[in-house]
Amino acid sequence: MTNERRSAKLTAENVSVRYEKDDKSFLAVDDVSLAIQEGEFVVIVGPSGCGKTTFMNIFAGLVRAASGKVYMDGEEITGPSAERGVVFQQFALFPWKTVAENIEFGLKYRGIPKAQRDETVRKYIQLIKLEGFERSYPHELSGGMKQRVAIARVYANRPQVLLMDEPFGALDAQTRTIMQEDLSGMFLTEKRTVLFITHSVDEAIYLGDRVIIMTARPGKIKKIIQITRDNLIPDRRQMRYDDVVNRKEFLDLKADIWGLIKAEILEKHIL
Amino acid sequence: MGANKRGPLSRKTILAVVSGAGVIGVWFALTAVFRVIPPAFLPPPQNIVTDFLRILGSPYVGHTLIGHTLVSLQIVLGGFFSALLIGIPLGILMGWFKRIEAIVDPLFQLLRPIPPLAWIPLSLLWFGIGIQSKIFVIWLSAFVPCVINSYTGIRLTEPLLVKAALGLGVTRQRDLLREVAIPSALPVILGGVRIGLGAAWMTLVAAELLASDAGLGYMMQMARRALEPSVIILGMLVIGILGALMARGLRVLEKRLCPWVKEEEH
Amino acid sequence: MARFLQRLGERIYQEKIVLSISSVLGFLFLWLLVTDVLGLMPAIVLPSPEKVFFTLYEKILVPAGEEKLFGHVLASLVRILVGVGIALALAIPLGVLMGWYEDLDALASPIIEVLRPIPPIAWIPLAILWFGIGLGSKVFIIAIGVFFPTLINTYIGVKFVDPLLIRAAQTLGAGDRNILWEVVVPASVPLIVAGVRIGVGLGMMCLVAAELVAASSGLGYLIMLGGDDLKPELSITGMILIGVLGLIADRMILRFERKVVYWKKE
Repeated sequence: MTNERRSAKLTAENVSVRYEKDDKSFLAVDDVSLAIQEGEFVVIVGPSGCGKTTFMNIFAGLVRAASGKVYMDGEEITGPSAERGVVFQQFALFPWKTVAENIEFGLKYRGIPKAQRDETVRKYIQLIKLEGFERSYPHELSGGMKQRVAIARVYANRPQVLLMDEPFGALDAQTRTIMQEDLSGMFLTEKRTVLFITHSVDEAIYLGDRVIIMTARPGKIKKIIQITRDNLIPDRRQMRYDDVVNRKEFLDLKADIWGLIKAEILEKHIL
Repeated sequence: MGANKRGPLSRKTILAVVSGAGVIGVWFALTAVFRVIPPAFLPPPQNIVTDFLRILGSPYVGHTLIGHTLVSLQIVLGGFFSALLIGIPLGILMGWFKRIEAIVDPLFQLLRPIPPLAWIPLSLLWFGIGIQSKIFVIWLSAFVPCVINSYTGIRLTEPLLVKAALGLGVTRQRDLLREVAIPSALPVILGGVRIGLGAAWMTLVAAELLASDAGLGYMMQMARRALEPSVIILGMLVIGILGALMARGLRVLEKRLCPWVKEEEH
Repeated sequence: MARFLQRLGERIYQEKIVLSISSVLGFLFLWLLVTDVLGLMPAIVLPSPEKVFFTLYEKILVPAGEEKLFGHVLASLVRILVGVGIALALAIPLGVLMGWYEDLDALASPIIEVLRPIPPIAWIPLAILWFGIGLGSKVFIIAIGVFFPTLINTYIGVKFVDPLLIRAAQTLGAGDRNILWEVVVPASVPLIVAGVRIGVGLGMMCLVAAELVAASSGLGYLIMLGGDDLKPELSITGMILIGVLGLIADRMILRFERKVVYWKKE
């Protein structure tokens, strides 16, 4: 494990997480070990409440593990850092800042001079196709636009790792599809290590290099599917969402994964 | 019951005018025509206007109307601004740092239920009849809402925004306070400022009624002794108008400083 | 790990309690130090803590002014209750009707909007002129103080009630007046009670102000007497009692609110 720890970007070793609610304590994540390589796009799917968000928060440094440790580049993660950017489902844009000011937030805090910041902001505004909205406030934007700004904000900060917690969960179905395509495109242009949490099996297969299926609470790893490595859906990244989603390979995979999750839900009586 | 527009005037405006005219009409009738109400009790409406012009130009118990107004304003603004300067930072620190809250809060809660006006006699005893005693009480009345609102504003900071800032590299407590908590709390803090101004203004009037030798409150007290209700009413109107103007001014300031806040109805 | 965090949390909580208690004790100690031990302040400026307690006890038996302590408390209570009663009896129905019937709104609003900005305290000289120094003037001032916030909140509650509720009632066949009293008013109760709470708070301040300026009994008068007779311990006694009275009133309204709004979560 130690060798893997040194070579992988993110490592979790025997991580367990408890959380307290009304005097009772639950085991949210149970002894999970995982290694994520640099440049990998890893997606975690699982039934509701399986601890996937909690697990991601461990990597983000926002939650402390009850036992086990997490590492980035071999060094223990003890708290949040700009190197591990987080994108939230509820956007979390600063309402008192404009779109441009939100995007440049991390840079400004680090003391990067204005000229450089402006250039970076300009680049990302173009990338997320929000030209003309630099001076708008978040409350004037639609959900999809807000999330694009949130992603740009994190991207602009150049973290090595992106942690995304159901980022498209609050968007309607059409916007969601477009955002997935955009994210896929962004990932091709600027490769980072990504840990992505979602409910949606479609989304997981479309975006992920590797899909990790978690069990119901307490969360453990049920199965890992290597989409890119085993070339399960060839040329996936170059294709449009609608074309990918209807291919037989995709549908087979989807059936497999969904079957596993459904079994979890029924077995553990979650619904 | 929609808006029935007859020409340029809506039904609402017509009713408003009718209402206003009605009140003045009844007033006029009772005081000037039927003489049911004596002028020492309530003057006819036209007297208000003539007396207004009178005290505008020549001094009444020491100052003209404008003179008294300026005296009052000076005292209010003095107490008010010093309350802001101490109250807002204190509230912010109390809201963010639990230790500071633990030390200051119990004392604050003990003193808070006592209406600022109740401090006036004590204040007179301590500071004499000069300006300091009035400023102290006014300061107190604006201080409390500033602290409370600043504290509440900071406490209402959305944890999600703090997490977002953490993930963007802001890790130190005081940086989080500066970058997230304070901007997020600004609308509430300004609300407290507005309340504080209203409270300060009210306290000033009371203080001037009790112990003063100039100012609008003093003017009204003197007018009462001299049985000149029109001057009293004029004082009341000036106080009301000034209070409304100050509140309006603060609202404009709020909109300027917080352009991201959505409009509320009232 | 969780146990560690739990213990850490408990320790922080305990630390807070320790800090809070020690700050109150420190304040009392400082007070005692300054007055009794070091004799820095003459007794006519700041009385020692035990003198205040003694006065509190003493005045239960010995009159201050014309009444014993109980008499003063009673006097203040009567004024507040009558004032609040009159104000609520006028403000709530008027607010409901104004919120529901647009014509009434258009007629009454201009008058209300002219009178509202005038702080209740500014009415004191006029009230004394009209009602003398008896119960009437104080009740009048308190009523004005309670009236406007209650009116405004009731008005807003009724006017801006969720239109969905009205539509639902209409499709169930309810008539106009029925909808008003069976649906709209109950739906507005939270806002009305909030308005009452603000109004009563304001009313307490008006009580103090009125009793400071023109009274011969009551807690405000007690405070004033302390200042006049150079007996600050009397003033402080009055201030403490007013504070307690205000707290009790506020808590009672809160409890009433919780009872009446049982159907609303939060």
